[in-house]
Amino acid sequence: MFEELLKIREAALTELEAIKNADELNELSTQVLGRGGKLTAILRTMGKLSQEERAALGQKANAVKQELIEKFEERKAALSELAERLRIEREEIDVTLPGTRRAVPMGALNPLTLVYREIRDALIGLGFTTFEGPEIEYDEYNFTLLNLPPNHPARDMQDTFYVNDKVLLRTHTSPCEARALKTLDLPFRLVIPGRCFRVDEPDASHSPVFMQMEGLVVDRNVSIADLKGTIDSFVKAVFGENVESRLRPSYFPFTEPSAEVDISCTICGGNGCSSCKGTGWMEIMGCGITNPHEIENCGKSPDEWRAFAWGVGVDRVACLKYGISDIRLIYEGDGRFLSQFK
Amino acid sequence: MKLPLKWLKEYVPFNTTPKDFAERMLLRGFEVADIIPEMGEVDGVYVCEILAIEPHPNADKLRVCTVDAGREAPYQIVTNATNVKVGDQVPVALDGAKLTGNFEIHPTKMRGVDSAGMFCGNEELGITNAEYPGCENGGVMVFLEKHPNGQRIQEALDLDDCIFEIELTPNRPDCQSIIGICREAAAALGEKFIEPVPKIVEGSGDCRRIASVTVENPYLCPRYTARVVTDLVIEPSPVWMQRKLKQVGMRPINNIVDITNLVLVEYGHPMHAFDLACVKDSHIVVRNAKENESVFTLDGKERIMSSDMLLIADPEKGVGVAGVMGGLNSEITENTKATLFESAVFRPENIRSTARKLHHVTDSAARFIKGVEPVNAKLALDRAIELVEELHAGKVMGGMIDVCAADLGTKRVSASVAHVNEILNTDLPADEMVRLLGSINIHAEAKDGRLDVTVPHFRTDIEDGIETDWDIAEEIGRLYGYGNIAPTLMRGDTFRGRIGLPFKDEDVIKDTMAALGCLELYNYNFISPKELDDLMLGENDERRLAVKLLNPFGEDQSLMRTELAGGLMRAAALNLNRKTGFGRFFEVGNVHFNRGDLPEERKLLGVIHFGQDEDFFTLKGTLEALFDKIGVTNVRFEKGGSNHLHPTRKAEIFADGEKLGEIGAVHPKTLRAFGISQDAYISELDFAAIRRHMIRVRKYKPLPKHPAVQRDLALIVDDKTEAQEVIDVIAAAKAHVKVENIRVFDVYRPKLPGDKGIPEGKKSMAFTFTLRADDHTLTDDEIGQAVNAILKSLKFRLNAELRA
Repeated sequence: MFEELLKIREAALTELEAIKNADELNELSTQVLGRGGKLTAILRTMGKLSQEERAALGQKANAVKQELIEKFEERKAALSELAERLRIEREEIDVTLPGTRRAVPMGALNPLTLVYREIRDALIGLGFTTFEGPEIEYDEYNFTLLNLPPNHPARDMQDTFYVNDKVLLRTHTSPCEARALKTLDLPFRLVIPGRCFRVDEPDASHSPVFMQMEGLVVDRNVSIADLKGTIDSFVKAVFGENVESRLRPSYFPFTEPSAEVDISCTICGGNGCSSCKGTGWMEIMGCGITNPHEIENCGKSPDEWRAFAWGVGVDRVACLKYGISDIRLIYEGDGRFLSQFK
Repeated sequence: MKLPLKWLKEYVPFNTTPKDFAERMLLRGFEVADIIPEMGEVDGVYVCEILAIEPHPNADKLRVCTVDAGREAPYQIVTNATNVKVGDQVPVALDGAKLTGNFEIHPTKMRGVDSAGMFCGNEELGITNAEYPGCENGGVMVFLEKHPNGQRIQEALDLDDCIFEIELTPNRPDCQSIIGICREAAAALGEKFIEPVPKIVEGSGDCRRIASVTVENPYLCPRYTARVVTDLVIEPSPVWMQRKLKQVGMRPINNIVDITNLVLVEYGHPMHAFDLACVKDSHIVVRNAKENESVFTLDGKERIMSSDMLLIADPEKGVGVAGVMGGLNSEITENTKATLFESAVFRPENIRSTARKLHHVTDSAARFIKGVEPVNAKLALDRAIELVEELHAGKVMGGMIDVCAADLGTKRVSASVAHVNEILNTDLPADEMVRLLGSINIHAEAKDGRLDVTVPHFRTDIEDGIETDWDIAEEIGRLYGYGNIAPTLMRGDTFRGRIGLPFKDEDVIKDTMAALGCLELYNYNFISPKELDDLMLGENDERRLAVKLLNPFGEDQSLMRTELAGGLMRAAALNLNRKTGFGRFFEVGNVHFNRGDLPEERKLLGVIHFGQDEDFFTLKGTLEALFDKIGVTNVRFEKGGSNHLHPTRKAEIFADGEKLGEIGAVHPKTLRAFGISQDAYISELDFAAIRRHMIRVRKYKPLPKHPAVQRDLALIVDDKTEAQEVIDVIAAAKAHVKVENIRVFDVYRPKLPGDKGIPEGKKSMAFTFTLRADDHTLTDDEIGQAVNAILKSLKFRLNAELRA
């Protein structure tokens, strides 16, 4: 009986070699391994054998069966690979033929782009110029020069993705302040957009990748009052003339005095609702007078130059402006969301 | 930081509403994130007196009570409680009441009898014997003393307090304490704050005779103070202390531990109490740990130390990890007879790094990391000893061990009044500044246009140096109120604002892409190493040079992307799966390559089209329209491109010989890897390269004075011949006239060999072009000669025949 088994194996393998397409393969598979197949038939006759014979043969028979199944699978993969290759060849096109234009519905810019432009354009009118810096930064620029030396406890305020002990994914656009202070002639007014990264698990109000816009004004005699006026003017440009802004004291290592900026609630207009926890105000960003250490660290004299700066989360502003309840939608890429911002 | 209102009132009179207080604190830089009632959500529960108890007609285990809840008419309450009798006063939850777990009570029928509410036990009220002795009786709570019927349960139990949850900024570690925050609260409320001074307990004997402390590393431990208490009576702390601890979320343990915890809350200074019998020779050594030295901490865990960590030891062994947690071997137990109270200062950076390395940032470590100071360390110790005496917890020994390398002198700084006014754009007189600083117990004197400020020991954030004027401006600004500073716009020179060219170019390109029907994506920069395999990138492909993150969310987000293709395809899969019906997307984003000190950053434009109406040529059409709009000319598409593109449907794109990027159908294998169920077409272009070929200012070209003639040619060419080859030959032919606007307008491949007279291996292509001269109208002869020259060249170069 074992010889018979071997014969079936030999025959099947020979036939397998000759097979040209999937249909033939399926047919052969049915003939050999199927319910009514040759191999199955043989195995079925084993019932007549003694127990010892059955055990010995059973093992061998299963080995043969396993081998055949594997060979069939291999062949099947090879055939479909071949078929795909042939199809790819058949599908050849002349890539130099002209493109075609279809009438399609308008596309749309991402809300981040829209908000970034609104803030930027409001500031251009106040004499600001665009500036940018790298997304992957030196620790020195992201922290140390900004008055955050290694092991400073305030580093814990921003959970950081590191590339190595000297290089990280910038946690804010502020390292561009150091780059600008070091390289540009003073005075200047800069608006600095860019992607930033923090180790925040994504949820409705956090995203590990987010977009920030830094404002930096360096001059001889700027003050908190100028900071207030500047911020209020772009808040009004983005949210409308009837939206108020206020500063309240806070702390950031790179500014002193530091403040948080609140705007009157965009949902209830300042009367108090669930979105603003009844306070009538919503926090949108941090700002302050640039810490003199930062100016000195960047090689400029804090006696001669004073600066103010802020960093606003474009995502946050977009969510408030458009009433987007989940920041993840901005990054997810669902066309039904993106197409709403034409 | 939790500040219970009653606790605040111990230090400061309070005559306003909690909400108004929160607003005042907010505008001084202390955000009250939440105001939590002491009894949490419990509401609508009142004292009532049971007037009568009747059996329930339908249930043996229920009873029907008539109660006086202080209203006009009595209420009927059905209860299963067995521990109440007529005349008892009990808490009753009436219609709309809320109990712990946000459990709401409404009138109901119980086995056919109306019940207006429910009697409450301690669990429903969320209280324990600590709040009301005897309330944990297993049944309904019964008041032990007389209360007016209808009184709110909060008033009856004296649990009517509220707790302010205050968010602190890292520059104010001094406010991480009841005393510190009350100091600010007093100023916010316009009240004078009297600093509490702990009474010094002299004690008897001198603890320095029996115990000693050696600090081997005074840099990491600038001050170590300690006192000893003997004849300890370890027992539960008094109810008032337990209640205070519970109000701020701490669990009472025993009198000694509770004392250190209460001092932590009051003074913000972490302390530790050692069982002195477990410290060999009663000698504490503060030293760096040996490499791999092991200590078991109070939580029973073994901590393996390294030599940069600070250890509290005795001459033989570690008894605690400095600033993080005490050792198990010297824990206070009920058998402890004598204790050494430690109140020390450790260097924040060192505690931060130790706690992080041990993955154990305890409450105590968190305080040291935020910063503690040496004067307060002694105050905390004094207070602890005062409490020991007050609680009769043991016999206080005289003397204090004080190993101090810290400067305890008073810091004086000087700030310019004019400069502070400049920073704030205010015009405050020096006297007013002195008054404002005085409101938070900072003493200053005005002299010759300067403020001489005596910095109190607790204000470690005020610097003597270049930051001083800014520090003082911050205090003045905050106390004066930012709201009182009128907004201005910058004075001085005006500036010419402008949008930089790269930003302007990006605007135009994005606007054009949107006009071409594409939706703008912002994909995350994190990708999986698998993505690079799914794209079948070769081993030497530069896109394998991805920057790897040290601390990613997971392996599947561990790399910074080197291509936009993956993100575009993930968006395709998402939109197809959700059947959104949208099939055109683009992204402008940076990719990074791991070479050089800082990775190389490159901006790319990626575009994807998919859906039944899209193919290679619709995507090509989109790109051509973009190029047309931004003036990128002389664009050529040449076979070739990355492995993730379909081998016979991909092209590299060049402008004036410079490669801009590539376009192609996505390879079937890649489609499968990204779970995309149908064909998709993708292009990635180098943003900088596109920008190099943009025309931003177009120059006018004079209109032709003489008419052009259009000619069409139908050709039989080799099946493999590309339209571009034919166009190139037509353009290069020696026609002696201008040959312009050459376009292919028809391609016909025979379905069967010989079909429509086209031989096997050939196809038909039809082209159109115009002929023109600048200085005259072309004659028929010239036209004929030009066409002939073109045909000759086509025959010679491409073996192309005019189709019959």
